[in-house]
Amino acid sequence: MKLFVIAIIFILSFSSQATEDQIIFKSEQQKSTYIEVIAELRCPKCQNQNIADSNAVVAKDMRVKVKALLDEGKNKQQVIDYMINRYGQFAHYQPPFNFATSSLWLLPIGFILFAVFVQINRSKSESEPHGNTSELDDELAQLLVNPLDAEEQGVDNILNEDDTIDKKDKR
Amino acid sequence: MTKKVNLRFLPLALFVLLLAFLLKGLFSDPNERDSALIGKPFPQFELPDLNSDTQIHTEKTLLNEPLLINVWGTWCITCKYELPYLAKLAKEYDVKIVGLYYDQNHAPEFGQYADIPAIRIEVKDMLARLGNPYQYNILDLDRSLSLNLGVTGAPETFIVDGDGIVRMHHMGDVNERVWREKLAPVWNEISQ
Amino acid sequence: MIPELGNFALYIAFAFSILLSIFPVIGLKQNNARLMAMAPNLTLGLFVFTLFSFLCLVYAFVTDDFTVVNVAQNSNSLLPTHYKFAASFGSHEGSFLLWLLMQAGWAFAVAIWSKGLPVDMRTRILSVLGWICVGFYAYIIISSNPFERTLPYFPVDGRDLNPLLQDIGMIIHPPLLYMGYVGLSISFAFAIAALLSGNLDSTWAKWSRPWTAAAWAFLTLGLTIGSWWAYSELGWGGWWMWDPVENAAFMPWLVATALLHSLAVSEKRNAFKSWTVFLAIAAFSLSLLGTFLVRSGVIVSVHAFATDPERGVFILVLLALVIGGSLLLYSLKAGNIKSFGKFSIFSRESMLWGNNVLLVAATIVVFLGTLLPLVHKEIGLGTISIGEPFFNQMFTYLIIPFALLMGIAPLVRWKQDKLNNFITKPLAIIAISVTLTLVWLKVEFNDIKTLALLGTSLGIWIVLFTAVELKRMLSKVSFIKLPLSHFSMVLGHIGLAFLIAGVALTSQYSVERDVKMFVGDSAELRGYQFNFTQIKNIEGPNYDGWAAVINITQQGEHVTDMLAEKRFYPVQRNTMTEAAIDDGFFRDIYISLGERLPDDSWALRLYVKPYVRWIWMGGIIVALGGFVTLFDRRYRNRKHSKQG
Repeated sequence: MKLFVIAIIFILSFSSQATEDQIIFKSEQQKSTYIEVIAELRCPKCQNQNIADSNAVVAKDMRVKVKALLDEGKNKQQVIDYMINRYGQFAHYQPPFNFATSSLWLLPIGFILFAVFVQINRSKSESEPHGNTSELDDELAQLLVNPLDAEEQGVDNILNEDDTIDKKDKR
Repeated sequence: MTKKVNLRFLPLALFVLLLAFLLKGLFSDPNERDSALIGKPFPQFELPDLNSDTQIHTEKTLLNEPLLINVWGTWCITCKYELPYLAKLAKEYDVKIVGLYYDQNHAPEFGQYADIPAIRIEVKDMLARLGNPYQYNILDLDRSLSLNLGVTGAPETFIVDGDGIVRMHHMGDVNERVWREKLAPVWNEISQ
Repeated sequence: MIPELGNFALYIAFAFSILLSIFPVIGLKQNNARLMAMAPNLTLGLFVFTLFSFLCLVYAFVTDDFTVVNVAQNSNSLLPTHYKFAASFGSHEGSFLLWLLMQAGWAFAVAIWSKGLPVDMRTRILSVLGWICVGFYAYIIISSNPFERTLPYFPVDGRDLNPLLQDIGMIIHPPLLYMGYVGLSISFAFAIAALLSGNLDSTWAKWSRPWTAAAWAFLTLGLTIGSWWAYSELGWGGWWMWDPVENAAFMPWLVATALLHSLAVSEKRNAFKSWTVFLAIAAFSLSLLGTFLVRSGVIVSVHAFATDPERGVFILVLLALVIGGSLLLYSLKAGNIKSFGKFSIFSRESMLWGNNVLLVAATIVVFLGTLLPLVHKEIGLGTISIGEPFFNQMFTYLIIPFALLMGIAPLVRWKQDKLNNFITKPLAIIAISVTLTLVWLKVEFNDIKTLALLGTSLGIWIVLFTAVELKRMLSKVSFIKLPLSHFSMVLGHIGLAFLIAGVALTSQYSVERDVKMFVGDSAELRGYQFNFTQIKNIEGPNYDGWAAVINITQQGEHVTDMLAEKRFYPVQRNTMTEAAIDDGFFRDIYISLGERLPDDSWALRLYVKPYVRWIWMGGIIVALGGFVTLFDRRYRNRKHSKQG
């Protein structure tokens, strides 16, 4: 009997050490989905916070609901759609894709393509870029202005030395 | 050559466009949020009456006629200013108003429970003092109906038509100006 | 009395700005050397009186003069003195005066450190700064005067500074940020002066560079400190939220980085000049746009100042005049700018163009992401939100080509280089970077996450290539002869490598636990034992609350003791979480005290965040790079150039 009591106390002493998580997740996967979703949903009432970071009543309710929906087996998109159906697109930090929001992706990409195109044109329309006279004039002009500037230009030019020409000569 | 010139004016043109939007933005409320409920049927629910231990309301018992559903609580300061006006609407304009009581404290997951008897007393007091517009009050203790309605606090007001479709969701208090400009046209239309 | 003197000084400074806008300009037109020489002196007057005005405001705060509205609204007698100082620029009016102080200060710096500039150029630059000042001083005097009195009412005490701002971050972050924002006005003034005179020679490019670098370095530091502050102060371990106000500071930084690189091309190779001028205008314009967004109430942000639409309209008018005016000038005059530098499609110029293109694309992303919700709503399409998921996605795409270019570009020759030379080395370095990363992640985390692999490999790629380039440089030039500006580049790139790796690692491998603990309980997270030993009452100068004492052990060995606090500030009736942070080079341990639960247990959030410090370490190294270049011998040579 004594042994039994000691055993019980022994076992109980372990359980008092174990700390409960506030939310019990069914799996690591569920936990990481939960964390992702609550970072993407916006608190509809706060000054620009997601529901993960907000202590507002509605944010807490939404978090509880997200967990409940995940427990039911819903996936990330379904949970987000659930909230959008109640709180509107405002509640999701990723905008819906429509004519206006397509600019979010099209304008940056369009700009990059355009800029690349400009650069290709710019370099094509130039004449042979090998050692033309105007460049030599530039260098001379620089030397006259400030010896320190010329020094920096000199260092730059050293880097521009053609290694391959040296190697070819050595062959 | 002209293409280059046009290109150089592009930033300026875009900037002018931006200015127009920023100017508009100065006079609109950035916190404004669209409701997701307009045109949708009022959500299903099963919730007790605030003042009764036995009476249960559902969307079937609620939605038989055009209604104003007002989300409120005794903790809500703006609601105090809204109550007299709603009472006036109910009495003089014959607007049917049902209250949806939004409690902020009830959170069983965190071990917090609302004190229903205390709420009943506070509600009775407040309505006696400021006016009672409500046919009855539904107690949304776990805020489940509020979540389905996209409610974030109080006061908020819904106009529901005779077919149970949400026609309007106003966030903020109802006063003379709001009624006249925003709610009355819809109400008048559905209560023909 | 002192506030009245401060107000009066502000008026005098305003008068100086008006004089600065007029007389030197006349001097330029008439080629009158005496009138032109007035410019530096007028700038001195502008600065001295603005400084005096600011000091008067600080005095009012520090002496608890609650008859000044600003003091009554933002301070309190119980507030510690250093926070009273911070409160002087914690409000819209006060921070605007700080902005003006910076503006006058930068203008004064130009006035004294412009020996290398031709007189007419210096005069033009100071005049442009004078024009900007006229508008801004008018604004503060007319609609946002910090010296307004509450009299005849005399409040007994003030409303206190927002507890979130009662932190060392508040003392250093805004001034650093404003130094950056306002410093960009110098590059702007250089560009406008150049457009007006039609003279965009090497002098303009050469002298624009250190001013741009200085402003950029301050902005980098301001952003870095801001991120660190948010992490330390807000209580949930975030360090960048893509909040509109954060974005408003990020956009000028992105463009200023592009400007820095573009100026190098303009100076060394006589190319990209028109583009550089545009960038200089854009950078300061974005600073102004940022200050508008923060103060106007147009966007929702935790950072925004409370203000009214009329003030917003005034700033919008200023914006229209400064930005609209400069863009108009650019449209009309940019055609006269001729760049003569020639280069082929594979050259250092092209690499730097790539840098610029990606940075501007990133700016467009941030700009659209911040402002599209407003536009979307105003055109009647409804209310949407754009936040983390969008920005993170786009920046992940953009960082890849950017980091790849950053590695290779310093090795590419000016004007023309052979693409064939750049196949074996990059492939080898990719292989090494990826392999090293795989090993690292496997050993430390036993889990290879794709984004972490990507970010860390890119960081190593940059470091390895920087080392390769440095080695190559040192094989040809001795260490002493290497210009400081080269070290700037090295620091800037290495700093960014640490930042990218830090972001990748901490975002992928941070772990957290949301727990409920009684005193005496223990919780485990990533090998650390969090032992909740005690809860105690605490009292501060203007707050009281609770502190949870948590003792950290690892495999039985004591690591540290941490104190996570919950503070209640009675004046503003605000509860604040002061997170406990044990910082380290390899990881931070972060504990946030939550609510006390009805059964007397406490909710706690425990975090282990690997490599989060690398983010700010990287930022500081980058900023250091910007400051280092200022000491390059070229800029310290005071010889007056006779040629344009």
